Amino acid sequence: MPELSKLDDLMKQLADGDRSAFRPVFDLLWGPTLRLCRGMLMNEADAADGAQQAMTKILERASDYDPARPALPWALAIAGWECRTLKRARSRRRETQEDEGPEVTGGAAENDFITRQLSAAAVMAMGELTQADQDVLRATYWDGAAEVSGATLRKRRKRALERLQKVFRRLYGLD
Amino acid sequence: MDSIDLDQLRHRARVAYEWSRLRRALIGFAPALVLATVASWLGGKPVASAPFGLGLFFAGVIALWYGREPKRAVLPGIAAGFFPVVLTIATMHVGHLCLGDRCTSACMAACIVGGIGAGLAVGVVGMRKHSRFLFWITASALVLCTGAMGCACLGYAGLVGLAAGYGAGILPALFVSGMQ
Repeated sequence: MPELSKLDDLMKQLADGDRSAFRPVFDLLWGPTLRLCRGMLMNEADAADGAQQAMTKILERASDYDPARPALPWALAIAGWECRTLKRARSRRRETQEDEGPEVTGGAAENDFITRQLSAAAVMAMGELTQADQDVLRATYWDGAAEVSGATLRKRRKRALERLQKVFRRLYGLD
Repeated sequence: MDSIDLDQLRHRARVAYEWSRLRRALIGFAPALVLATVASWLGGKPVASAPFGLGLFFAGVIALWYGREPKRAVLPGIAAGFFPVVLTIATMHVGHLCLGDRCTSACMAACIVGGIGAGLAVGVVGMRKHSRFLFWITASALVLCTGAMGCACLGYAGLVGLAAGYGAGILPALFVSGMQ
């Protein structure tokens, strides 16, 4: 958390025109931006491209930064937008290629890869929850009957899922 | 992520940052260019006033692009600078002030009084904001460029009158700031 308030201060300085804050802001934002792009694009090369575009865009808009707002969500919102744009552009290109002729590598393999990456991300996010929340979610998964059991468990499961969603959003910037 | 050249990316991001600031400065200061054109035209001698208008525009754009203290000096500098301009343009219709057999241009008095007023205004703002060196320099440059658009019609005498008045007006604030 001290890193976040440090980032807020540095971003404020950079927005005001203090160039000495440029390098530290870049260094503090690079890691989270790259992680977000990896989480969204599920492909190392696309994530690298997306993160680079996002960093350029974030720092281009540094002067617009409102010091009343926390810097990291502001920056990651820009990065998220850039990654979504890149993702859309890539999928459009893929659709065009599919229209032109059959793909050499199978789409099923790619879907399988994406599914595995998403599962890994969900497991990682689950690791951030409390033991009690993890137990509730595991019970839901292993015991199908738990889904229809008492109202208390349903409420606990709902709360645990909400917390998992929050953690996922914090880690990857998306639901 | 060894394939990403972070130094090159940092450089690209820095260039984007600087261009974005410059673009914002140009857009942000464009209204002052309109005001400068109007003031030069109303001053009656646009050829003499135009260089100061251009100087004002470049000084303002550089201050906004640079940011920090110079950026904070832009608004007070422009606002205070328009005081001698308006005063001079208004007194152009008065003609000369005569005391006995001695006459002097009312414009000259307007330049000096306007300069004093602008100096006092910048001084008050600067002291309130506990401003530093770059604020005073930028605000003074902007006041003198703006004010000169009105006083240039009197030639060097008008400019000297404006500068002297401004110096007299800002001196107390600079003295108090220096003491603090």
